[in-house]
Amino acid sequence: MSEQPNQNHQQADPTVVLDRVSLLRDNQPVLHDFTVRLTEHRIGLVGNNGSGKSSLVRLLNGLLQPATGSVRVGDQDPSDGPESMASQVGFIFQNPDHQLIFPTVQEELTFGLKNLGLSRSEAESRAQACLREHEREDWADRPVHSLSEGQKQLVCILAVLVMQPQLIVLDEPFSALDLPTRWHLLDWMHSLPQQLLMISHDLDTLTDFDRILWLEDGRLRGDGHPNDILPAYREACRGQEGRL
Amino acid sequence: MISLYVQRQTWLHRMPAGAKLIGLAAVSVALYPVTTAWWLLPVLIAVAGAYASLGPGGLARLWIVKPLVPMFVLIVGLQWWTQSLNAALVLLQRMLIVIWLANLVTLTTRMEAMMEAVMPLLTPLKWFRVDPARVAFAVALLVRFVPVLMAVMLNLLEAWKARGGGRQVWRLAIPMMINAIRMSDHVSEALAARGGVHSR
Repeated sequence: MSEQPNQNHQQADPTVVLDRVSLLRDNQPVLHDFTVRLTEHRIGLVGNNGSGKSSLVRLLNGLLQPATGSVRVGDQDPSDGPESMASQVGFIFQNPDHQLIFPTVQEELTFGLKNLGLSRSEAESRAQACLREHEREDWADRPVHSLSEGQKQLVCILAVLVMQPQLIVLDEPFSALDLPTRWHLLDWMHSLPQQLLMISHDLDTLTDFDRILWLEDGRLRGDGHPNDILPAYREACRGQEGRL
Repeated sequence: MISLYVQRQTWLHRMPAGAKLIGLAAVSVALYPVTTAWWLLPVLIAVAGAYASLGPGGLARLWIVKPLVPMFVLIVGLQWWTQSLNAALVLLQRMLIVIWLANLVTLTTRMEAMMEAVMPLLTPLKWFRVDPARVAFAVALLVRFVPVLMAVMLNLLEAWKARGGGRQVWRLAIPMMINAIRMSDHVSEALAARGGVHSR
């Protein structure tokens, strides 16, 4: 599995490569000698709390640095730091309230663009174009607090999309959302051209994905099609219940 | 404060942030020489009129001062007792006018515009090698997170009451602080993930 061309058919997704990565957090090992190569368009990440999912995805945009081994996203090395990765890897967190920084939707969208070096007027016109494209033109001046949880999460995603990243990483984006909102957002996300890597505890949201990684204690326990991995993971969780 | 911004575009929204801030400062200063309670009443009515011009629900926003009422009662009582009723009423009206006007500016100004307007005042910070843009950003963040932290506080309070917590609510101070610090970790991560805050 060394140098082979990107086999993705839909578009040129960046190839994500982790090569013999180990990671420490607070001097505790989180990932052990972890090697994986991701070229699929829709990738799901499952595993129990503490299995290393969140740490793994934080390696991809430089929020965490590996102790040993190397990480590559497309032709970039995330160890250059999150600032230089922001245009390449979009990151959606669990709680929109941690991510939404500005009072209005438009300010939220222009923030990242200005970080990319765009002037204010360029940033504003691109933000408006993005809202128009996703049929949310009237949201520009809306106060963020007036939005529902689902709408807030949508703004988070738009704020990342407007920067035109190639890969979007989502760390349990649905945990605060009700079922209809979950499905609605998921449908919409499937329509996006970007490569998606999503952590989810709601296994139903991952059934249409191309590949599922199952993490356990910082190692890959399963890797394959959702039809194979999700039932196996579900089964393993059944075996563990009642051991709090 | 973020919860205050009015979405509907009004004449006040279209006014430049700098002009609004200067106007606010000018009115605050101009109120000082006025020592007759009656003369302040028209100003108070004009301010209420400005709220009404925001459209439906505009006047209701005057209730922003509700939590301050006990303090007003205390101050007015004290002034009346030590000075005179006139002095007490002058002070009360002055406070109401300034608070309401300041709130009116917040209601109708985008954070971005506000930051830009305040920026020239921060330029002297450059002499101390502090980047004004960063300071302005920190202020914006503070304002943005006031309602979020209030929500956290309410959650803690609910958890406290749900388990029969007594009146020593001050004990929530430490968990509140821990929560705020943990939240700041999340926020800084989210900021970095979107390219961080650049110096100019």
